[in-house]
Amino acid sequence: MYRYDEFDAQLVAERTKQFRGQVERRLAGRLSEAEFRPLRLMNGLYLQLHAYMLRVAIPYGTLNSEQMRMLAHLAEKYDRGYGHITTRQNIQYNWPKLPDVPDMLDDLASVQMHAIQTSGNCIRNVTCDPYAGATAEEIEDPRPLAELLRQWSTLHPEFSFLPRKFKIAVTAAEKDRALIKAHDIGIQVVKNEAGEVGYKIIVGGGLGRTPIIGQTLREFLPKDELLPYLTAALRVYNRYGRRDNKYKARIKILVQETGIEAFTNQVEDEYEIIDVSDIAVSEAELERISSYFASPDFEDLKDDPSELTSAIADNRAFSLWAKNNVAAHKASGYSIVNISLKPLDLAPGDITAEQMRVVADLADKYSFGELRTTHQQNLVLPHVKQADLPALFAQLQAAKLASDNINLITDIICCPGMDFCALATARSIPISQAIAERFADPERQRTIGEMQIKISGCINACGHHHVGHIGILGLEKAGVEFYQVKLGGDSSEHAEIGKVTGPGFSESELIDGIENMVDLYLKQREEGERFLDTYRRIGIEPFKEVLYA
Amino acid sequence: MSTLKHKGKGPQAMTANELQDGFSVWLDPSLNWTRIFADALRTEDEDLMEKMQDKADADEQNNIVVGTYFIDIEPDTGLPVRYREKFRVKGPSYDTADLLESQ
Repeated sequence: MYRYDEFDAQLVAERTKQFRGQVERRLAGRLSEAEFRPLRLMNGLYLQLHAYMLRVAIPYGTLNSEQMRMLAHLAEKYDRGYGHITTRQNIQYNWPKLPDVPDMLDDLASVQMHAIQTSGNCIRNVTCDPYAGATAEEIEDPRPLAELLRQWSTLHPEFSFLPRKFKIAVTAAEKDRALIKAHDIGIQVVKNEAGEVGYKIIVGGGLGRTPIIGQTLREFLPKDELLPYLTAALRVYNRYGRRDNKYKARIKILVQETGIEAFTNQVEDEYEIIDVSDIAVSEAELERISSYFASPDFEDLKDDPSELTSAIADNRAFSLWAKNNVAAHKASGYSIVNISLKPLDLAPGDITAEQMRVVADLADKYSFGELRTTHQQNLVLPHVKQADLPALFAQLQAAKLASDNINLITDIICCPGMDFCALATARSIPISQAIAERFADPERQRTIGEMQIKISGCINACGHHHVGHIGILGLEKAGVEFYQVKLGGDSSEHAEIGKVTGPGFSESELIDGIENMVDLYLKQREEGERFLDTYRRIGIEPFKEVLYA
Repeated sequence: MSTLKHKGKGPQAMTANELQDGFSVWLDPSLNWTRIFADALRTEDEDLMEKMQDKADADEQNNIVVGTYFIDIEPDTGLPVRYREKFRVKGPSYDTADLLESQ
């Protein structure tokens, strides 16, 4: 597990104390709002549509049970009893009060958490494959890499005022669960022909108002060159990134306008003159970081124990849940468990304080105290004995956390939209709930199979609608919400931006239109095809016909 | 020449967010801040609007509210013209907190 070293502890304690003083001065009128705003944003505190919102960093989506209990405590003591998992693996509280925020940050610091770099034009919280350290698909655990990036980027003096925010995602598996091609920089742990482990660097991806799939900056970067090379890339961006236009300030625009070849040359030229020894970390330091992430003491177990096989045979609900929400683990006799935060009655990603405590207890009991958040706004228990799966399922059921819809049509990514967000142009939560209600029948969901619907309440695309198999963008004109549809987006390793179908719809037209498209897919699909596969085979026109019928 | 900051047409209301709690508020006819939009002062009277602006500036200065601005009001409904402002009046159409409170 990640843990603070003495420097982190001191840094966060000082930062929290500093922010307490800033809040006191603001409340006493010694700081104006114009002076205070950038200070609060640097500590994750936004002023949204109806109230303040505090965004707490969950470094690379990894947290332990004690931290989850603290998040529950915050929800209960300072907020309205729940939190919201974001598409960047963080958690947001929608109703904190300004005088309470320093206490919230103190409480977070007591469990080695904070809200630094969850806002502002800096390197944001690094995100990661939620199966890291648990899946056999990875070359090695990417979390030490993510932790190295966290340490490097934390309050980095040169990169604290970039032209715009900067998001990094990492994975060590070919199957991309971290959306690395839609980040400013995506890093994939890879092996070269000689079998050496290094990094593939993707640059210039992003969603927002200008969605772009990232391009390869380096096919293979030796491990010890990572920080110097990233420094070179960030320096080029810092130097040439557009500061004259907020909407053209992300690195994706710079890469697009410069061209990947010329941009790569600029980075390589910068890299030539960097004193690598000044930035690169020693082998000893890398080993020290890696030691934080040593695998738990897995028992020597066999796959498919009788407790599991008999529960699959006897309990249909368990069997369906296990089939859909449980993934293969690198250690035999263990599994990765996905906990869906997409029940019918809550907003996607919302989790109550009570549920947080249940999940923390379950993590202690069944998963070495470890938890993950996912960019799909769900949770993961990374190391569960297969023999414990039936008992775990029963306890998840009791806490209303046993929805068996991971990767199905009701596992919808959805931003807070106009219900909470000051930037939104339309609501997204009611759309997600209407779709979930329309497709509530579990059998129907399983018949449809893998389907990713993603909804954003504005063009900033926090709901990742550009890469949804069906993407929905909420807009507003003359006081009326309407919804634009995109088809064929893909957030996987085959990342692709969806295509706009045409004019938008009202909410009711939209839900009917989605159902028409799903029905068409079910009629047209060939053996083994997902919605996306059928779309790719037959093209957009047949779907448009039924969407606009 | 008017020094009023509002650029809208027709009836206006003055809105802001509370500094401490962050909640949306509007000036009422007594020029106090209310969280209930139904109690908000809506007017086309330029002199009154000037008083509203003065009060908003003073309360921003006195750290009671942040982000003061005039909003356009529909004459026939008395509701804000802009969709976003309608939402600030109504509050979230869905909030998990409401579900928890109803249980």
